[in-house]
Amino acid sequence: MLIVFFLPHLLYFSSYWSKILKMKKDNKPDNTAFTQQRLPAWQPVLSVGIVLPLFFIIGLAFIGIGIGLLITSNNIQEFEEEYTGIGDNSNCYICANNATANCKCTLNFTIAQPIQGSVFMYYGLTNYYQNHQKYLSSRDDQQLAGETYYLKNPSQSCKPYQMDINNNPIAPCGSIANSFFNDAFALYYNNQGFLDEVKLDGSAIAWWTDHNVKFSNPSQTGSNLSQIFEGTVKPINWSKPVYNLDVNNPDNNGFINEDFLVWMRTAALPDFRKLYRRISGNYSSFMPSGNYTLEITYNYPVKDLPGKKKVIFSTVSWMGGKNQFLGIAYLVFGSLCFVMGFILLIVYAKYQNVEDNDD
Amino acid sequence: MNAFLVVYLCILISKALVNTVLKYVWQSNPNRDEPWYNQKTESERQRNTFLKAFTDFLAFMVLFNYIIPVSMYVTVEMQKFLGSYFITWDEEMFDDELGEGALVNTSDLNEELGQVEYVFTDKTGTLTENNMQFIECCIDGHVYVPHAICNGQIMPGTTGIDMIDSSPVEEGMESEELFFRALCLCHTVQVKEEETIDGIKKGLQQCSKSSSSSVYISSSPDEVALVEGMKRLGFTYLRLKDSYMEIQNREDSIERFELMEVLSFDSVRRRMSVIVRSHTGDYYLFCKGADSSIFPRVIKGKVEQVRARVEHNAVEGLRTLCVAYKMLKKDEYESVCRQLNSAKLALHDREKKLAEAYDEIEQDLILLGATAVEDRLQEKAADTIESLHKAGMKVWVLTGDKMETAAATCYASRLFHRNTQILELTTKRTEEQSLHDVLFELSRTVHQHSGSLSRDSISGLSQDMQDYGLIIDGATLSSVMKPTEDGSSGNYKEIFLEICRNCSAVLCCRMAPLQKAQIVKLIKASKEHPITLAIGDGANDVSMILEAHVGIGIMGKEGRQAARNSDYAIPKFKHLKKMLLVHGHYYYIRIAELVQYFFYKNVCFIFPQFLYQFFCGFSQQPLYDTAYLTLYNISFTSLPILLYSLIEQHVGMDILKKDPYLYMDISKNCLLRWRTFIYWTFLGVFDALVFFFGAYFLFDNTTLTSNGQMFGNWTFGTLVFTVLVFTVTLKLALDTHYWTWINHFVIWGSLLFYVVFSLLWGGIIWPFLNYQRMYYVFMQMLSSGPAWLGIILLITVSLLPDVVKKVICRQLWPTTAEKIQNAEKQLKPDGFSEFTPLSSLHSSNYRNSDRRNQPQRRSDQLSKKLMYTHWGNHDYCTFSSLSVSDSKSNSSSGLETSV
Repeated sequence: MLIVFFLPHLLYFSSYWSKILKMKKDNKPDNTAFTQQRLPAWQPVLSVGIVLPLFFIIGLAFIGIGIGLLITSNNIQEFEEEYTGIGDNSNCYICANNATANCKCTLNFTIAQPIQGSVFMYYGLTNYYQNHQKYLSSRDDQQLAGETYYLKNPSQSCKPYQMDINNNPIAPCGSIANSFFNDAFALYYNNQGFLDEVKLDGSAIAWWTDHNVKFSNPSQTGSNLSQIFEGTVKPINWSKPVYNLDVNNPDNNGFINEDFLVWMRTAALPDFRKLYRRISGNYSSFMPSGNYTLEITYNYPVKDLPGKKKVIFSTVSWMGGKNQFLGIAYLVFGSLCFVMGFILLIVYAKYQNVEDNDD
Repeated sequence: MNAFLVVYLCILISKALVNTVLKYVWQSNPNRDEPWYNQKTESERQRNTFLKAFTDFLAFMVLFNYIIPVSMYVTVEMQKFLGSYFITWDEEMFDDELGEGALVNTSDLNEELGQVEYVFTDKTGTLTENNMQFIECCIDGHVYVPHAICNGQIMPGTTGIDMIDSSPVEEGMESEELFFRALCLCHTVQVKEEETIDGIKKGLQQCSKSSSSSVYISSSPDEVALVEGMKRLGFTYLRLKDSYMEIQNREDSIERFELMEVLSFDSVRRRMSVIVRSHTGDYYLFCKGADSSIFPRVIKGKVEQVRARVEHNAVEGLRTLCVAYKMLKKDEYESVCRQLNSAKLALHDREKKLAEAYDEIEQDLILLGATAVEDRLQEKAADTIESLHKAGMKVWVLTGDKMETAAATCYASRLFHRNTQILELTTKRTEEQSLHDVLFELSRTVHQHSGSLSRDSISGLSQDMQDYGLIIDGATLSSVMKPTEDGSSGNYKEIFLEICRNCSAVLCCRMAPLQKAQIVKLIKASKEHPITLAIGDGANDVSMILEAHVGIGIMGKEGRQAARNSDYAIPKFKHLKKMLLVHGHYYYIRIAELVQYFFYKNVCFIFPQFLYQFFCGFSQQPLYDTAYLTLYNISFTSLPILLYSLIEQHVGMDILKKDPYLYMDISKNCLLRWRTFIYWTFLGVFDALVFFFGAYFLFDNTTLTSNGQMFGNWTFGTLVFTVLVFTVTLKLALDTHYWTWINHFVIWGSLLFYVVFSLLWGGIIWPFLNYQRMYYVFMQMLSSGPAWLGIILLITVSLLPDVVKKVICRQLWPTTAEKIQNAEKQLKPDGFSEFTPLSSLHSSNYRNSDRRNQPQRRSDQLSKKLMYTHWGNHDYCTFSSLSVSDSKSNSSSGLETSV
């Protein structure tokens, strides 16, 4: 690739090399535009004349885009509920302090305005360093791609979660997999005292390419997943083996479990959110206002980090979720361009006057 | 550049140190050091803390090492190597007569060509052509001028002599013939019968084509000129055969002289002699040499008349030689022979003994007369010197010739102007006064007008200053340099340097080769550390060529020693102008941008990584993928800057040549000052902050896709990297003033290459990699609208401050180059004339100094010849040639006429 890119230049220069060699006979240098440095050239000058209109145009365009972005962003509805369980009056206080598995707690919240459009449900963690160098590298992409050799022989990079105490290979190996987020949520709409379950859809929450190309289960004809994974052990912190992650949907098991895939796409920053479910069923395009109950299966410890856990409900637009930054940045920068334009205009006018007086 | 590098090394180390310290501060909380989700292995836990800290420090160093632009060195070397071809390729520096163009022996110094402050030039062969023409001879005070001048109209017959003075009497006739014979015999010229194709001899060929096809060859062009001259006066030296020298005299009969001894020339004696035996059996000793070495040995002859003529000729810039003879009796000859033989056979101090023998033999001579040979000024030498002066360079002429000859040449080559006040520092003066007094007097004179202004003003060209020229000779120079016993030599040197600093032109005559180097060294070591350039053609210039920062050899007639020992070799002196004003200027601005840009782009590159450490627990997590880290300097951003540094032209070539003042725009390394360096660094830091925090806020707890999916850390890094590559490349695009198709190709090509590479890199599961972290990251990013908008915004934001700064600087404090760019734009029909102010382009002091330094010249003659100058009482006028461009620059005070 590199060579292909350099090739035209090499050829270009080598043609001159050959001419240099020829020059031994006829010393006279070539009279070409290149050798004489007289190639035809466009010589733009960055003068006020060009830049001024450019500033105003950019300013206008950016302000326009900024307004559009802000409006879009403001139309997006977003709810955030923390359920870490810090503080005595918190519903999940007991679960947070008792290390019992599958501790349940509930969270009640009210949606004041009905939400139009499809709603996405995220879980969020704070102060959680998924981007730590050691953590990030503690995975084996070859194992996750379903290569049978690496299933039984995970890479060294997975340490300390490469093999268990009995020296059995861990599948999936590594810190990332081991720390897989294992809280579960169920959502109910409080319809006049009657709890109506809001259906949650867990499909297509991970990248399509992750699900279909990058990750795959090891294949072995005529055997089911549990047979394939025989000889490996589940990660130490997991309660269920990898081939049994989703009891309801047998196709959503193994390395291609979507929740697992979402977790494996490590977040860039220590405060992050990850897509959990999309709201489907009756509420897929409209969530009425009213009271909701979120039932949490509390497993994931964050208290010591110290971190927080959140659930977020958000609609999305073409520009994704709620993000004021981009709109504001466009607006501010657009106006700045305008101001700059005016300053330049003044400078320009003044300079002009000085020149006139001069001559 | 190296100082900048040290700064960056300090930045690198401090960055790594800061991060290491912060890491341990941050990790003091055990939940941060080892959270439950990210446990350490047993061996990691047990590692010594100090050792861990040290490896962490090293890891940070590795992570940030890109800030030291290693690739810069490679690129700089390539730029220098490839860039030097433009000098070799330059057609304007090609000499048809020699059949050779400029040669580049080292490519390390290209940019120094743009920084030259002192030019030391040889005279003979450098300023002049070293193509000698016999002009006249003076025999016993009668002047003979061969009226047929070599080029073209050679009169047939052998009677071409004009008697200027009274007609010679009978005895005059005799000494006249003796004189001619002496010149025909006293030389070491060889005759080559067949035609040669050697370019150097072509000129001679033309001169001698009237008679035979023979060519005279000698190591000294003067000798050839003399023998040629004699031929035109009727005495033709035919050949040396069996130690008999054959001369064809005016009656076309052949005279034969047996050559007995040759007392060869050396530069200490400054003369040579031959001993011949005529057919009558008489022994003659003929001696020819510099006037100063002949006159003291003469006992008879019309010394006064000859001396007057010699001095007259010297003032006119002619090279003079005196001829004397003596008759030897047979026994005298034999004793001479013995003397010489014993000296030649001496085992110890042979040279010294030979010199003594020569000294003894060459005594009691009878003066015959003197010759005058003209060495013409090289084509456009005066124009070149004037341009160099205007470009703020100080030109020193260092020559071995006598003062009057050299001074005349200096006037002719416009090194000295009519209004130049000449300061003399010669033996003549120091004989009258002590060196101390002379020096102090001169420095007083110099300071009278300038005062303390001198150092700041633009190299003596500012309008308040009188133009000074200094003449110093070798003997005085050595006494200036010589440490005296009372230790005041440093003082002398300082005073001398101070005087020199205030002189725009200095002439050093009667210089020994080593003294030339000494002078160069003196200036080089002075406290401003100016860049010096030495130019010369002969072996005697080699020492100064080697001593100066930039050595330039002229491919002259005195062999190729100078050309071989130099950094650059050019065919003619006039090519120096283009070399410095165009090539030097270009190389300098190119390399300056190259260096600064490299620092800038690596700051942009690495600073986000540094910032990222604050958000990933100081864990040395790289922000970018390995492929991006590796290829950033190698292929994404390398070619645009390399090609920029090869073909950028901020101002047209013709303008640079026409307007030597532009050279001062870049003097004193002004594009690589700390201020610019800091500006670039801060720009880099600002851009890096924009990249990183722009992406940070864009990614802050939100999804960027319309399907609700989240991006990971690699998308974050790729977004920053994409903005980075585009910004850095577009920044270069903004700096480019000369957009050829190559620039378009590499700039847009590089960006395209980045995109194509990223698509490919993320588009395939690469089987040889054991991680697939970049898989589809780039495509996913491009499928997101906000990512696009973010990229566009961040690129614009990071480029804007630089644009604003450029525009405001251009408007308020434009450099001369920028004014010219504006003017160029204006003159084009589709230019933005309504915006660019129509103003004079030179700042006022430029204009004034321009007028002031243009003496009123009579520019109607087009002859190339150096004409007569009456020098001595500072009242002279020059009828010298003026090329067309000269007369133009004479009339142009600004640039309006010359563009």
